[in-house]
Amino acid sequence: MTADVDSGVRDLLAEVTGRPELRELAAGTGLFGPPVDLDSLTGTLLLRRVRDRWGVDVADEDANLDALATIGTLVAFVADRVRP
Amino acid sequence: MTAGRLVKCVVWDLDGTLLAGVAVEEGDAPPPDEAMLGVLAELGRRGIVNGVASRNAPEVAGRALGAVPWPVGFVAPQYGFGRKSESVRRVADTLHIGLDAVAFVDDDPYERAEVAHALPAVLVLSPEEVADALGWPEFSPAVVTEEARARARSYGEAQRRRDAARSSGRSTVDFLRWAGTRVTISPATPADVPRLHELSVRTSRFNSARRAVGQATLLAWVGDDRVDVTGVRLADRFGDDGLVGAAVSERDSDVWTVRILLMSCRAMGRGVIEAVLACLARSATAAGARALRVPCRLDERNVPLRLALVAAGFRADPAGQDAEGLTVFTRPLDAPLPALADWVRVAP
Repeated sequence: MTADVDSGVRDLLAEVTGRPELRELAAGTGLFGPPVDLDSLTGTLLLRRVRDRWGVDVADEDANLDALATIGTLVAFVADRVRP
Repeated sequence: MTAGRLVKCVVWDLDGTLLAGVAVEEGDAPPPDEAMLGVLAELGRRGIVNGVASRNAPEVAGRALGAVPWPVGFVAPQYGFGRKSESVRRVADTLHIGLDAVAFVDDDPYERAEVAHALPAVLVLSPEEVADALGWPEFSPAVVTEEARARARSYGEAQRRRDAARSSGRSTVDFLRWAGTRVTISPATPADVPRLHELSVRTSRFNSARRAVGQATLLAWVGDDRVDVTGVRLADRFGDDGLVGAAVSERDSDVWTVRILLMSCRAMGRGVIEAVLACLARSATAAGARALRVPCRLDERNVPLRLALVAAGFRADPAGQDAEGLTVFTRPLDAPLPALADWVRVAP
């Protein structure tokens, strides 16, 4: 399941930023700051796509949006909630 | 004062609604419906933009729409055989507005029912109802500024900007630099008050307190020495958006508190909120403050503001909410200060 979520999150990140190369970044890469530079627009789109795809509402559970620290933290947050 | 629902965009069906007939592949395009022409012109005067959702093939609908000298432009036209609710959602997404800021007009009861069922937040109207609806509060902004009247043109510019950004493959920062982005931050003046009031009524995604602020209050703040009212203007090679945001800060010796932070959704993703937050942190530090606070009413609408705050180093207070029930995001000012991008100009 985590592998599916990992691949899916990377697809969504590439989609909302329009930058396919971001798929290949290490799991520990931060989402705020370079090279991803997630901002309020791309961040909102990413959270909306995550909610549409897995039914996980990151913003609802997490005031500080800590799940968006890195690619890996977002994958773990989603995978924890979709695990059967 | 709570911001009531305001329609920002009306999405129109073509056949039998905007057009007095049915567009076909061959022959003359049908004439416009005269009553709807009047409604469109009035919507344009009120700064409400218009979109189109037609089930016609793109070439047929595009030809029929292009054959009429409409009094307003249409943003993000949606053509094709898909569901109307999907078209309406795409228009809202394109404009970065909530579905509760959208009205949908169609002569076909089935289409109205489909949209009402799939998107309950959308205000669904028949052509017979829409002229009357112009008298409803949802269609009656208290003030309409030049920025608002230019909105349809601005959304067109936004579409070209987004297309350019997506096809560029550049990072956001590189794209903003390429686009010739110019963010100007300066103290607000009494002349800015109508637009600031309008922003407070119309914004939800970037309205920290999630409330409207009256013109008298804004005017008092602008004239108050203890309060810092900062306006932010935005322009780039695609167009000039004018005054797109503001921050009202109370200056205490130790802590600056941002009573309300506002930004138009047009400025989303264009480096504006980042510039405002960086500028506030730098000004507060220069004045000797140790922390910058932004109390926010958290809900699903202002997630974009929360993203901007977190990205700028703010954290929500784990102790909970302030006396007004707002969650306080705080940034200590002893941490390294955020840099101002080279396209940001701060006027004294």
